[in-house]
Amino acid sequence: MIEYIFMITAILGAIISLMQRDLLKVAILTGIPGASIAFLYQYLQAPDVALTQAIVGSAIVPVFFALAVLRTRRVEE
Amino acid sequence: MIIDTQLAALFTAGALIVIGIFGALFLDNLIKKVIALAFIGDGANLFLVSLGYKAGGIVYIFLPGMAMSNFSQNASYPLPYALVLTSIVIGASTMAVMLGIIIILNKKYGSISASKILGE
Amino acid sequence: MSLPNLLIPLMVIIPITCALFLNLLHERIRTVKVISIVVAFALPIIPLFANYGTHYFGGYAPLIQNPISADLPTLITGTALYIFHPAITYVYGSAQKLMIFILGIVGLFAIFISLYEVKKPSGVYIYLMLMGIASITAMLLSDDIFNLYVFFEIAALAQVGIVLVSKIKNNYETALKYMILGGIASPILLLGIALLLGVTGNVNITDIVYSIRNGLINPQSPVLLMACSLIIFGWLYGTGLPPFHVIKSAMYSKALPTGAALLQAFSVFSLVAFGVIIIRIFSYIPFTHVFLLAISLIAMVLGITMAITQTDFKRLIAFLAVGELGYIGAGFGLGTVFGITAGLFQAVNESIITALLFIGFGTIMYKTKETDMQKLGGMLVATPKSALFVLLAGIALAGVPPFNAFQSKLMLVQASLNSGLPEIAIIMVLMSIVTFMTFMRAFHTIYLRPKPVDLEIKNEKIPKITLVAMVIFLAICLLLGLYPHLATNFLQGLAMSIT
Repeated sequence: MIEYIFMITAILGAIISLMQRDLLKVAILTGIPGASIAFLYQYLQAPDVALTQAIVGSAIVPVFFALAVLRTRRVEE
Repeated sequence: MIIDTQLAALFTAGALIVIGIFGALFLDNLIKKVIALAFIGDGANLFLVSLGYKAGGIVYIFLPGMAMSNFSQNASYPLPYALVLTSIVIGASTMAVMLGIIIILNKKYGSISASKILGE
Repeated sequence: MSLPNLLIPLMVIIPITCALFLNLLHERIRTVKVISIVVAFALPIIPLFANYGTHYFGGYAPLIQNPISADLPTLITGTALYIFHPAITYVYGSAQKLMIFILGIVGLFAIFISLYEVKKPSGVYIYLMLMGIASITAMLLSDDIFNLYVFFEIAALAQVGIVLVSKIKNNYETALKYMILGGIASPILLLGIALLLGVTGNVNITDIVYSIRNGLINPQSPVLLMACSLIIFGWLYGTGLPPFHVIKSAMYSKALPTGAALLQAFSVFSLVAFGVIIIRIFSYIPFTHVFLLAISLIAMVLGITMAITQTDFKRLIAFLAVGELGYIGAGFGLGTVFGITAGLFQAVNESIITALLFIGFGTIMYKTKETDMQKLGGMLVATPKSALFVLLAGIALAGVPPFNAFQSKLMLVQASLNSGLPEIAIIMVLMSIVTFMTFMRAFHTIYLRPKPVDLEIKNEKIPKITLVAMVIFLAICLLLGLYPHLATNFLQGLAMSIT
């Protein structure tokens, strides 16, 4: 049953992150679908992919976005 | 109950691709556009991984002490997983390049709105 | 493993290693120059010395070729597992030899000219060029569809990089647009590959074809049709056929002349690499041929008619190049051995002629820093030699004898007549005439009409290497035009094996 929870968090996280106006929040919320997908990989019997995705999807990618936001502008015009 | 995992993964993949395509087409902010593109990539990867899943199977890593016959009958199909590892890294690097271009364009235009920068 | 077969992976490995190395030492100009000259010469020379054959990465040959397989139970030897390829496989045949050699020649001169036209050669630019060449070489060699996808992505990044370093106005915007479209198109290509993998359980193209032909899977499965359309969509993006012709031609025009010469070679050869695969896997679906023909005709008509209205000469050649891509696609779409040979021959010819045109018109940019045709004129006096070469290249592009494109376009027309499609032959001939007229108009405005008063021509001499490159490209054009069998004999084997 727990897969369904991750499914819902992944989809809702994606929608909610795209709906924010504060771009720093967007960047941080991107980590939620990333981490949920990592858990889904684990339940799909792929622990090594899950490890990679956990690092890339929930840490590196949001940090990239956050850095880009800090170098550009924070609020959507 | 067992097939549910694959179904959930496929549904998530489809939803992420749809959200991503909508976001990439209709959002005006460039950083949000790039985030939407990252979602499309995630969805495609998730779809690829869910193909290798075997209901009731075991992880495809052969550890010492496992029975060979049991492993070869129950392990999930490892090829898609190997491909996805490459694909995740490619997606992250493409995204980093796009963000770099956006930072430079912001210096030039003072804005990260797609209609201002890309619209001609 | 014998030594000659080791050269097959080296065609990809040498440019990539040297590219990574060059990127590290972008400050030391002498070292950069020496290494790039050595690698540039290696690019066309290695394919000449490599023997035909197959390379299995890691040495994992199919079980049927493996000595241990004698003791295996019939449980394994009786099934298709016995002949499947477990490793990434590179196939090197005569067609690959010719195409990689031509790509190497274009790359060699692009690197040389970029080294000598600027005062301070940048290691980063050479790095991007080498990465692109290596990935297109790998796409031509690879028999593994996922490996192809990986190199497709690397090639896309290298193309964006080549545009980014050019310092031409608005290059960042074009590059970002191209990447955003790529961000949609490449996951779609990946989905197509995933569907193919899901149906056949394989990523090796030979094995996929075996599974489909021998009834291991249902060839009429709708999933395969879906995979076909998704892969074709990715192919359209990668090669710049419509609906991506506008962004692709913008990419050409925002690159330096040497970069544009390489970019169009990349598009041509990735079109060939993917086209071969699409024909190999999906040729049994009638939809594929119809779609390929339709999209090629649209590319021809749109590319060449949009070229008429351009005022920027780089954009004009870029659209003409996209239009010429349509001829190659039409060759694939006809689907006969003769048609595919003609398409491959046209690919080889076009990559040389368009490279020559980009480099030739690049001399005008070198002299005047101007790309707008309205502000140009009377360049014949300033650059008489390159004007002659450009004129000959334009004549070759339009398909006038004795140049090579005449032979390949003649073959294409014959192939479409043989397939009972005279309409396509008529469109091809008409579009050749329009190409010629468009080119002559551009040539007249730039070279022949009187020089505008406010046009400044710099007094710098064009580097000798540029002229040498143009002469050698023309010589290849003339050689292939007089002796087309030199090329078609190499290409026919591939065309026969995929139909």
